[in-house]
Amino acid sequence: MDDITTQFEECLRRHLRSAKPNPINYDVELVQLGLDSMTAVAVLMDMEKTFGIRFPDDMLVEGTFRTAGRLKEAVQLLRERQAS
Amino acid sequence: MTRSLPDQSLGPEWTILELLARGIIDDSEVQMVRDLLTTDTLKWGELLEQALRHKMFPMLAHQIMSASLRFDVPTNIYMHLESALEWNRWQIEVFRRETVRVAQALADRGIPFVVTKGMAFESTLYDSLGTRYMNDIDFMITPRDRDKVMTVMQKLGFRPFFDWAKDARREEISSRLNPDHLPKLAREIDQPGIRLIDIDIANSLTWTKSPFDVPVEEALENPVEQPIPGMSGVNIPCFRPIYQFLFTVLHLFREAWLQKFVESGTDVGLMKFGDVIRLIDRNQNKLTDSELLRIMQTHGVTDAVAWVLRHMDETFHTHAVELLALEKHGNEKLLRSQMRSPGYVNAWSESMRGRLQSKSRGSVRPVAPAHRGS
Repeated sequence: MDDITTQFEECLRRHLRSAKPNPINYDVELVQLGLDSMTAVAVLMDMEKTFGIRFPDDMLVEGTFRTAGRLKEAVQLLRERQAS
Repeated sequence: MTRSLPDQSLGPEWTILELLARGIIDDSEVQMVRDLLTTDTLKWGELLEQALRHKMFPMLAHQIMSASLRFDVPTNIYMHLESALEWNRWQIEVFRRETVRVAQALADRGIPFVVTKGMAFESTLYDSLGTRYMNDIDFMITPRDRDKVMTVMQKLGFRPFFDWAKDARREEISSRLNPDHLPKLAREIDQPGIRLIDIDIANSLTWTKSPFDVPVEEALENPVEQPIPGMSGVNIPCFRPIYQFLFTVLHLFREAWLQKFVESGTDVGLMKFGDVIRLIDRNQNKLTDSELLRIMQTHGVTDAVAWVLRHMDETFHTHAVELLALEKHGNEKLLRSQMRSPGYVNAWSESMRGRLQSKSRGSVRPVAPAHRGS
């Protein structure tokens, strides 16, 4: 699988104001980077479009995008599932 | 509830709508509305636009017709208002039939529920005049019955509203992330002028992970049976007055306090405050005994209720905070705040009155830097 880091971070920066000028800390909660319920929807939709994936219903929960690290893992998992 | 006449600093158009929203209660207010509607400087475009923004078009129409102002209003405007009121009455009639259909199906399966908001208020707070606008029918259930209710609704022909939404995936994701409601449901119908009936089913009095909430199971206990106008012997269950008040106030708090509703242009309007004022006016004895205060304190919602009532008193010159003995609740920091995301609260310096009148609320941003909320 290709490294998705650059595209993933670009996608986050498009929606999270606080993420724009700084390196993204993958362990920090995304709400601290400006995520709210509206931007969460926008981030997930952008991830689906960017990576050609679809979050299944059981992944449309807060735990999936609590941190950048968790979200990146979810995106990678869905890409792998799709590829296999 | 006593109230003084509104100041007219925001113009006659806005004063008319404030008076109508809070409910005309005496001859001086009747005369004031009449004088304002017939003043030479009245801007009809502004009045109609604001009436539409605040879902008060049918109410304005009814006021003009009942005051016999047929020849004081430009003819084309009068005709349009008359049509709008008639159409609203027709929609309410269709909604009533659908409410009963859904209510009977839920009751047949022994599912606890109540009908809320517009359909519950139209007959009790607005005298069945057809003046309360509603764009959907609202129900409240418990979270444990979500799956059962979805099954019932599908059997009744309802499908998730995603199918009709402009951006179906956005609606779907948003609905999954906010499990305080079922996905909005809709059904196509064959009635003149009405293509779809939307039903909104909540399973929380506020929102997912709200720091202010009242357990829905408790609120649904001992509902009152409310007659449906024009349908003899048919009743629908509604919250009893204390929980009706709490739900209505906390729902207003949700729409006014959460930044996302401001940004999506769907936050609080004049009529939401009008509902609260009428609820207090018509249930004063039940809301001023110690039970309401005890319930609010038990569930830690007193500050949220005080937030709404203090803004309401400032805006509409009512005295609800004093009436409900909440003077010591709702601190200044909370009053001037708005929640952006869980754990983050923004400072907010605007008055509620200015916010309600503003036509660019979606672009309003907090003036102070964000800080971690408590």
